[in-house]
Amino acid sequence: MEIVWTNIIFSIAAFLILYILLSKFAFSKLFAVMETRRELVMQQLDEAAKTREQAVAYVEEQKQALNNARQEAQSIIQQSQITSNQQVDRLLEQAKVEASRVKAEAVRDIENEKNKAVEELRSEIGTASVRIASKLLNKEVQASGEQEQLVDQYLKEVGGRS
Amino acid sequence: MHAMPKIMLGSIPIDLSAVLMLIISCTVVFVLVMLSVRNLSVENPSKLQNFMEWVVEFVQGVISSAMDLKKGKPYISLGLTLILFIFVSNLLGLPFSVVTEAHEPVTVFGHVIEATRNLSHGDHVELLWYKSPTADINVTAGLAIIVFVLMNYLGIKLNGKHYFKHYVEPFPIFLPLNIIENLAKPIALAIRLYANIFAGEVLITVILKLGILSIPFLAVWQGFSIFVGALQAFIFTILTMVYIAQMTIHEEDAH
Repeated sequence: MEIVWTNIIFSIAAFLILYILLSKFAFSKLFAVMETRRELVMQQLDEAAKTREQAVAYVEEQKQALNNARQEAQSIIQQSQITSNQQVDRLLEQAKVEASRVKAEAVRDIENEKNKAVEELRSEIGTASVRIASKLLNKEVQASGEQEQLVDQYLKEVGGRS
Repeated sequence: MHAMPKIMLGSIPIDLSAVLMLIISCTVVFVLVMLSVRNLSVENPSKLQNFMEWVVEFVQGVISSAMDLKKGKPYISLGLTLILFIFVSNLLGLPFSVVTEAHEPVTVFGHVIEATRNLSHGDHVELLWYKSPTADINVTAGLAIIVFVLMNYLGIKLNGKHYFKHYVEPFPIFLPLNIIENLAKPIALAIRLYANIFAGEVLITVILKLGILSIPFLAVWQGFSIFVGALQAFIFTILTMVYIAQMTIHEEDAH
């Protein structure tokens, strides 16, 4: 360890020259770039935050729209159910009415047929019984309207009783 | 012990080894930094630029631990130069050193190296040419003097009358104590750095005397010396910042 005063001077000078050169040619540029990057990052972070906010809002909007669509679909389904139920009821009612109408008609037809058949039978039997009677009595009975009326009356009584 | 290759230019002594090592050290730092800022890019920094930015951020951290970073901004360049210069200087002497053995007076540039001037026949002197510049107390003293001058200048400039008032606080009788305290700072800085690095190099020389056995010890010690070199550069820088902060920032609550 030996103190050499010029060494001290040289080292001071060397350090100062190094400091001046570096801060002039290197560090100022480096700091500027770092500052630019910092700003860039800040800006990008800001942008990202903004984009995220937008995305959240958009998703919310979509959710709302989806909900609306779902509700609408629900209401449409309900509506159609109601409508179809009503239709079914109406058709059923119609069918019932139709069926009862048909049934009533058929009943009337049957009654008519029956009446007609009874009428026919009655006239048939009247004629036959007159023929039988005339044969039994060996007497020609004129098939007059009066006699026939008589027999008819009788038969009607019988038929009414039966 | 190795001798200093010192020549006399008239009455001015010049230590060729220190001059050589300062030039090498400054060149290495300068080339390293210039390479790292060669293709500066905001979005796609090179590896070296990333490294240099990491160093900048490290120094910013050091400064912000001593003072408000807003006030400390002008000192970032200083801290960077200090830490890089000292770190590189500490490491330069680790891989090897260059020693020449002189048996008779050696002349360089027409001047006789002082240590070899009075060599009698049969004697020899070992001249140490290549070493860590920080293993020389003169270099560390130079750095410490820069810090000392800077901190007092900044104290007077930025702190005004509080700087002088500080010398007579808490009582005027503390004046000599405060002056000693102030003077002790650069001395401690210089000696701490010098002693750590010098001791490291001495120990390397001692270990080398073991011959082939020295390899594992040397590996361990060199690794540790890298750590010590980084640590001392860090300590020098942070102490510089702490001293500047002490001198320049007047705390209102303290009075």
